[in-house]
Order: sequence, then structure tokens, then C-alpha cells
Amino acid sequence: MSLYGGSRDISLLRHINRELMHNIISQQIIYYGYNIEDTKVNIYGETTSGRIFQEPVILYTLIERADQSSPIEDGVINFSQPVTFKFLRADLVDANVLVEEGDIIQWQNAYWEIDNVISNQYFVGKDPRYSNTDSTGTNPLETGLEDFGTSLSLICNTHYVPADRIGLDKQRI
Amino acid sequence: MANITIYDGTSLFYPGATPFGFYDNDYQFQTDADKVVTFCARRLGYPIENIELQDINFYAAFEEAVTTYGNEIYAYKIRQDYLSLEGTPTTTTTLNTDVIQPNLSSIIRMSHQYGEEAGVGGTVTWYTGSLVVTSNQQNYDLNAWAQDSASISATDRIEVKRVFFEAPPAITRYFDPYAGTGTGMVELMDTFGWGSYSPAISFMMMPINYDLQKIQAIEFNDQIRKSQFTFELVNNNIRIFPIPTVSGGKLRFEYIKESDRNSINAPGTAGGVSNVSNVPYKNPTYSEINSIGRQWIFEYTLALVKEVLGYVRGKYGTIPIPGAEVTLNHADLITAATAEKASLVEKLKGYLEDTSREKLLERRALEADYKQKELNLVPQPIFIG
Repeated sequence: MSLYGGSRDISLLRHINRELMHNIISQQIIYYGYNIEDTKVNIYGETTSGRIFQEPVILYTLIERADQSSPIEDGVINFSQPVTFKFLRADLVDANVLVEEGDIIQWQNAYWEIDNVISNQYFVGKDPRYSNTDSTGTNPLETGLEDFGTSLSLICNTHYVPADRIGLDKQRI
Repeated sequence: MANITIYDGTSLFYPGATPFGFYDNDYQFQTDADKVVTFCARRLGYPIENIELQDINFYAAFEEAVTTYGNEIYAYKIRQDYLSLEGTPTTTTTLNTDVIQPNLSSIIRMSHQYGEEAGVGGTVTWYTGSLVVTSNQQNYDLNAWAQDSASISATDRIEVKRVFFEAPPAITRYFDPYAGTGTGMVELMDTFGWGSYSPAISFMMMPINYDLQKIQAIEFNDQIRKSQFTFELVNNNIRIFPIPTVSGGKLRFEYIKESDRNSINAPGTAGGVSNVSNVPYKNPTYSEINSIGRQWIFEYTLALVKEVLGYVRGKYGTIPIPGAEVTLNHADLITAATAEKASLVEKLKGYLEDTSREKLLERRALEADYKQKELNLVPQPIFIG
């Protein structure tokens, strides 16, 4: 029987995370979700008129950034700075944002494209979406598992992408 | 997704918001409740920090603080007055507002035991009994007599308190010329020319020690020169001296039932105060607590709230945040709250001790001493008429 990590605990957890991320640390980004439906591609999978993105959304996040580097490739000096953006899943749910690889994150005046999304931080080790219930909503071993635990975060590993490559132009937020 | 609200900077007290509702209908309590919430929240860092509590947590702490304050006050009063309160009716509505008049009831009740043994008071009845002595029988079993004649249970015993074997008191023979000591006064009275007066109607003023010595002389005379009526009493078996020569005489004595002495119920106290738990003190009336008391209550409420907040923040040792963990200040909160609570209670107890009767009388005596010393410094002029 689960005892810890119930809905009240999750609520407390959310309050503390939001206090920390929203009121104390307050790091924000602008999130551009990739609109795959409206993006026209040719038979080679290339866009002819650029990628289309969803309306931008401002989100709180925790940012872990590596140092900038300037690798030389093909005789050209590039710019590189891997950044990890860590989101509170509850914030994403409230903002109705679905995080996927290929989405763009604007932080300060630069853009980062999501390479992969890690969803592996479970409070008390449980994700309530997988409560192993049958068609009648019953778990034969235990009831109420859907009320315990939470998947706390989404962590996005990104790479820097020049603005001209994604065709985004800040006009209005 | 459940969303448990936390304190948002506003609160509105309503009767029923506290766990017990002891003070919910007290207007002053209602008024102060929300102010206390604001006080505590701000002392804990709101609005800069979130306080992961709800208004009812604050109200519960406030109610507990008032109750604790009352408990300390009235527990002190009970300690102070318990000798006077023990045995008094518990049906009294409340003693909260009564000034206790000290009395000696408990002291006298405790003294009964000594009076009982001396036969001059107490609550154990002394019974009288007698048995018929038999010629040439020196030993008599009073246990057997008690079972036959004293209406006691099989497991009860009697304890003989007095055996009537003594001669009449010596004072009754004070003027008896045959008492064996002589009056000792004849020559003296003759000297003063009063020899012809009858001893029964004429007196010579003598010091009291003379009377005592003469009475003692009469008793010693009886004991040493006469028949030595006496007895030995061991385990309620009495051996009388001398051995009776005739049957039919009665040996009279007084006794108590041991069950009476073993009775632990003090007469006249049935249903009265028997221990500190039923002294009729009730929770205090909040609106009658003065500002000193209320400030104590506010600070104690803050300590309680701090403690609760510590427990809330400390249920999990660390709190996960995206990609990391943080440790909150629950340990600091609980440590501080525990120390503050103990300190406040100690401070209150000290304050109460300073106002005990003993301390007040001490202080008053000291004041009198100091006043006297100060007055002694005033020059005392010599009056020249």
C-alpha cells in the first residue's frame, strides 16, 4: 500500500518547486513548439517555406549551461554552447505545452533546438499514469496507485542554433 | 491533480475554524485570530517566502497557545492552593475568577491520624469492650473475643487502645490523708496558725510544681507499695497481673477496628476534589487575558506555527526539483521552535513563581527591612524643650 507521495504531498512539492523556480530563481525562456502539421515539406523531407512553430510561450525553467566554445569546422568558426533546460512538468501542463525534439527554446537572444527530452524523475519512484489498472480501472493488487507519485520534470538537452537557420524573428511575444 | 491551497496572505476567521472551538465565540479571540495569522506569517517571511500552511493551521496554533497559557496559570494556582482545594466540591462552576481563601482543612485532615493514635481526635471510632475474668486465668485472647463480640469481619482485627486497670487519678486523692504521702501541709498550715481548718475547705497557695510532685508521689506509692495491677498485651493476647482470685469481675478496655483505621476515604470529601485533574478550573476567557498574557500567547503561537511548518517542510528530507534536489530549512525551524516553546514556558513559570505567596511575602518583608534601614538614616534630633 502506498503511503507516501500522495496528492497532498505532490501539491506541496509543486508549491515549493514553483516558489523556487518562479519567485526565487526566476529563469525564463520562450518556448516555440514545432507545428509539424502546418510545416510543408517536400518528398525529401525538406521544408520549402521554413518551419512553422506554435505560438511562443514563456516558461520558467532551470538552466544548466556549458561554456561557450568556438569549434572550427571546414575552415569556418562556429559557435557552440550546449544548454540543458529543466522544466517542471506541472508548468508545462498548465501552459499546455508538449515538449518534443526539434522544438526551439529562446533564451536571452539566442535559440536552442531540443535534441532529446528526458522524463525520468519520479517522485517516490512512481508515475501515476502507469497504475496498471485493468479495463475496469482496477489494479488487482492495490487500488489508488494513480493518486501516488508524480513525474516531476522534463529535462531538455539542446544545442545552439543560429537564428537564421530557423527563421524565427522576434516580433511579438 | 489535487491542488492544496496554501496561505495566500488573507484569512477570515469563523467559529469552527479551530480544532476544539474553546474560544471561537469570544469576540476578542475572533478579532485577534486573523491578526495573529498575519503576525506569524510575516515573522516567518511572508510575502517574500511562501508559507506552506493554511489559515486553519494558524488558528489551531493560536487556540493551543491560549490553552497552554491557561494550563500553566491554573496548574500553578492548583499547586499553590491544593491544600485548600482538596476535598472541596467539584461541582463549582469554575474557580477561574475566584480568589482562593486558604484554609486548614487538609492540614487538619492529615493531622487526624496523629489524633487517632493519641485518642484525642481523628475519624476512627474508639469502641469499648469488656470481658469477664475467670479465677486463676491470667491470659485472655482478645482476637477471639473480637470475633465473638466486636462485630468485625473474619479478616479484620481490633487494636486495643486502653485497658482500664489504673487506680483513680491521683488528683482525686490529693487531700487524702491516707494516700501514703501525707499532705505535707499540716505543719506548714500550723505554722501560719491555720492548722485547725479542714483541708477540704481551706487552701494554701503553693507553687504548681508542688502539686505535680505530690501527684507523682501518690502514683509511685500505689505502683511500688501496693498490689501492682498491670498487664502485658502482645498480639491482642492480654496477660493480667495479678492472677485473678475470683471469677466474675470485668476487664474493660477500649479498642479500634483496624479496618476503620485502614479506611482511606476522608469523611466529608465524597465527590470533592481528589486530585489535580478535577480541580474545577476551566479554559481561560480570552477576552479577560491582559496584554502581557496575550503577547506571550502570540509568541507561543509563532513557535507552534514554526514547528508545524518545520514538520511540513521536513516530511521528506530533500525536495526534488527538476534535475536536482534541495533541502529546506525544516531542521532549523523545528530546533528554533522547540527552544522557543521551552523558553516561553520557562519564562511564564518563572513569572508565576515570582508572584507566589511565598515570594510576595518575602519581598514584602525585604521591603520592610529596607524601609526600616532607610528610615534609620533619617537624623533623629534631640528634642530640647
